[in-house]
Amino acid sequence: MFKWRTIIAASCIATAAGAADDASGRLGIGHVATIHEIAASDLTVFPDGAGLPDGKGTAIAGAAVYATHCAACHGDKGQGLADFPALVGGRGTLATGKPLLTVGSYWPYATTIFDYIRRAMPYQSAGELSADNVYALTAWILAQNNIIKTSTVIDRKTLPKVAMPNKDGFVPDPRPDIPSTH
Amino acid sequence: MSRDEAASYTDLMPSGKARRFTYEMEANSVIVRPSGGQQLDGRGFHEISGLAWSGRGKIARVDISADAGRTWRDAELQGPVHSKALTRFRAPWVWSGEEVQLQSRATDETGYVQPTRDALIAIRGMTQGPDGFNHYHGIKPWKVDRDGRVTHV
Repeated sequence: MFKWRTIIAASCIATAAGAADDASGRLGIGHVATIHEIAASDLTVFPDGAGLPDGKGTAIAGAAVYATHCAACHGDKGQGLADFPALVGGRGTLATGKPLLTVGSYWPYATTIFDYIRRAMPYQSAGELSADNVYALTAWILAQNNIIKTSTVIDRKTLPKVAMPNKDGFVPDPRPDIPSTH
Repeated sequence: MSRDEAASYTDLMPSGKARRFTYEMEANSVIVRPSGGQQLDGRGFHEISGLAWSGRGKIARVDISADAGRTWRDAELQGPVHSKALTRFRAPWVWSGEEVQLQSRATDETGYVQPTRDALIAIRGMTQGPDGFNHYHGIKPWKVDRDGRVTHV
């Protein structure tokens, strides 16, 4: 058992150092990820815009993309249908006890919209949309929530600057917060 | 920030402010036998058993109440007890045939004690986040009626 651990650990170090970069390496298992394979998984977009690709879009362009790929589940105006969540509305409801939590009313960063659409939408065929179409859909959702104008161009520079309505609505985790004793 | 960091790992409070990056589940437990939907086969001896867990370390102790939380006694933990892992507990119990309420209460290695539902919602309210109530860890009581039927309280 100890020997196997040593061998596995040694092979991991070799891979990390780039020594096992072809399939004829000592274990012959797998291959070093290519730049294209890494790029296909390297999807994280940060609040400051890091990770956003080239491309651009407006809500006007996004309306057609939304109608084709999104409206069947999220409703023609983003109002949500059945179990599929609303993307629009809910501002002013967070403290009412019956909040409508949407991208527009709840999410603190506009960049998260791009991240999630690119990563996970459309539900049945995630990954098929171009960067321009994802920017256009992001713009459409923001405009539908009256956060930007329908003519505003959304790209890697402008998206991180969009001020979301609930950007100051979050506090650090204060737990443990409930007094309890034996 | 990912969608799940915005939705699943936030907790909306009654004030309208939301806690963010709320990752850990605090000390939690549930009695699995007997539990809702089950039927006791008669008065007399039964073994209560269930699961406890904590996102802040090992389970140190589980208490059992058969009188709606008025009195408590130690349950037995079944090893191995690992950090952030489901931990089995059990306790012998004799059912009188009367209506009773069973509860379990976990304590983790930090000394944190699983709170009652009332204590929890008094501070956090009952407002659901985008993905529901993400960090409910209150005590979960089961009612046993005179026919031995077990239901959620």
